[in-house]
Amino acid sequence: MNFLTVKNGEVFYRNEIEFLNRNDFQDSVLNALTSGYRMIGLFPVDKKNPNKIVSILSDSVSSSLYIIGCEIPGNKLEFESFANQFPQTNYFECELAENFGYKPVNHPWLRPVRKQNIILGNQLYKFFNIDGDEVHQVAVGPIHAGVIEPGHFRFQCHGELVYHLEINLGYQHRGVESLMLSANPNQRIILSESIAGDTVVGHTYAHCSAIESMTDTQVNLRAQLIRSIAEELERIAMHLSGLGGIANDIGFALPAAAYGRLRTLVINSLAFLCGSRFGRGLFVYGGVRFDFNDENLKQIKGNLEIIKKDISAINDFFFSSTGALLRFENTGIVSKDFAVKIGLVGTAARSCGIELDTRIHFPYGAYRYFPVSPVTLSTGDVFARARLRALEIDESLSFISEQLENLPNGKIISDLNKLRINSGVISIVEGWRGEIVHTAFTDEEGKILQYKIKDPSFNNWYGLSLALRKTAISDFPLCNKSFDLSYAGHDL
Amino acid sequence: MIDEIRLRILQRNSVIQDVGAALLPKLFRGLPVIGDKPCPDGCKKCAEVCPTDAIKTDPLSIDLGLCLFCPLCEEVCPEKIIHYTNNFNLAVDKREKLIVTKETEAVSPEKASEKIKKYFGKSLKLRQISAGGCSGCELELNALSNVNFDMGRFGIEFVASPRHADGVVITGPVTKNMAHAAQICYDAVPNPKIIILFGACAISGGIFQDSEETERKFLEQNKIDLFIPGCPPHPLTLINGLLNWLDKK
Repeated sequence: MNFLTVKNGEVFYRNEIEFLNRNDFQDSVLNALTSGYRMIGLFPVDKKNPNKIVSILSDSVSSSLYIIGCEIPGNKLEFESFANQFPQTNYFECELAENFGYKPVNHPWLRPVRKQNIILGNQLYKFFNIDGDEVHQVAVGPIHAGVIEPGHFRFQCHGELVYHLEINLGYQHRGVESLMLSANPNQRIILSESIAGDTVVGHTYAHCSAIESMTDTQVNLRAQLIRSIAEELERIAMHLSGLGGIANDIGFALPAAAYGRLRTLVINSLAFLCGSRFGRGLFVYGGVRFDFNDENLKQIKGNLEIIKKDISAINDFFFSSTGALLRFENTGIVSKDFAVKIGLVGTAARSCGIELDTRIHFPYGAYRYFPVSPVTLSTGDVFARARLRALEIDESLSFISEQLENLPNGKIISDLNKLRINSGVISIVEGWRGEIVHTAFTDEEGKILQYKIKDPSFNNWYGLSLALRKTAISDFPLCNKSFDLSYAGHDL
Repeated sequence: MIDEIRLRILQRNSVIQDVGAALLPKLFRGLPVIGDKPCPDGCKKCAEVCPTDAIKTDPLSIDLGLCLFCPLCEEVCPEKIIHYTNNFNLAVDKREKLIVTKETEAVSPEKASEKIKKYFGKSLKLRQISAGGCSGCELELNALSNVNFDMGRFGIEFVASPRHADGVVITGPVTKNMAHAAQICYDAVPNPKIIILFGACAISGGIFQDSEETERKFLEQNKIDLFIPGCPPHPLTLINGLLNWLDKK
């Protein structure tokens, strides 16, 4: 095979990528997919030149990323769809079609990704529709009954049971990827912080790592640890928020309130470190802006002590309640087989028994020296997705406690060099929701030519659709909350 | 039952009793103050570094509607003239009040009219519209209902239907794709109604002010009742802003 093989965060030159003709490209990608690799990107190297695209595939067994290019001359931007055999590529193909006018030939089901009801430039897209006795359609959104982001959901129901759920997004599209190209470095960091406001640390970490790789900047271990601690704090905070939301969605007020109280302690800990409850302002290129000192260490450790003391009592109470378990178990199941086929990532994948965690399989930053233990469950239902988050909180708490006791000394900011010219990098971070991929290419002047972002939600929304099949529509809020996906991260 | 009681005891009393007197962490970046010292000749470092062009020099001013409360300007100022205090009282009723100058010591909204106080003073139900909000503002708005802030005790709550609402809270820069839905939602709220803009994106577009994917006509056509600056604003900024505005303090 002609793939360029790199590691997470390893910089490469653009001319190292081999650009094949259409047929060879199709064969190579098919080969890689058949070997069990996962697609994590499919887009042009240069936004203005759609004729040259790259496909990025990842293999968690060898911790390697494979890049292969394709050059299609002329106006006929077509390739044979991989999605019939490998549904995981479906959405990547839809995105390529929508953004750059490609036509994936024989694609099983071309859908809009961020546009409203339009595919292939100007063709009207019609929602899937089932006819029959007692079949009815329920349309919800974009505005939902709560303080959440907008998205449109179309349920095809037979009585209470959902036959099919179609999810139409794009309402949050702000043009982040385009803005990344025109923004100055300060603005780029702020933009990364705003890709998904619940994953500030995750996305900013991925972005800073990408830039640091392309400038050959070494980040000190102390700064790397502060980043990882912030990342784990974000993970704990959002897992607590998710568990509180799940409790709320089954009308279980006491654990909902208890998880909410603990979450406040975690996000306030981030504020003790950097002034923002979400970790905004913490990241700079080359390290972090804020350091631990005796005062904030004492405050943060105090907060973590309370959480450690209380969390097990709350978890025991929540996960031993028969009423709660009846709602969770066997609800919204995604089988491992399905999950692999559609390419689920993050907590949703680990709940189906797929061992996939960037911190372990594509280690970066401090996780290279201080590994975390993998947590997986196998049932793939709401219970697994909720329980997994409770288990990950414990894992993150022990990671933080250990690292806070062993912080090495050192500078927290390193000087930044210039961006390498004609280069590229793939930077992957395990956000609390799952795999965050930032891919950047520079041009001959060292300016950013292409910046591509993949939030874990991009993979996982499809999982929610499938989880709803043969599930009661009344369980939708619960299933939705158990996946806990980002609209803004998907829409960009 | 015993387990429930045990859990309830663990909860203790977590509510912030006096929301006006709460103290935020030292590093929290709230109202900026501009010191008396003159700027060095020709120095525009703060304005140059600002990611949203919120800072004007000669004389120095910061537009809190654009400000993302990031640490850049304070960090870069050679004379330490700009300093972000942990004062979370930032809500105002008029856009121009968000310009902080040397003279600014505090910002606050004018008290609402007697009519508004009569309608909404005792009970205010709000419908939130996320129109490109990244979820940061949404999380802080959700936090308002948790045990710490417990906004419901003041008679202020979020409701599911615009039909049940007395006003809307808008987050996000208002994307093209959400502009229509936002308008429909606002139209569905019965009169009289208020509009609150929550966060820099809603107030000015924030970091997305130059995006081609936003459509802010709706905001320009309607009177805005309350501006809540921040990225995202702290929950206390909204609570105190509303309580001040409705004269409930």
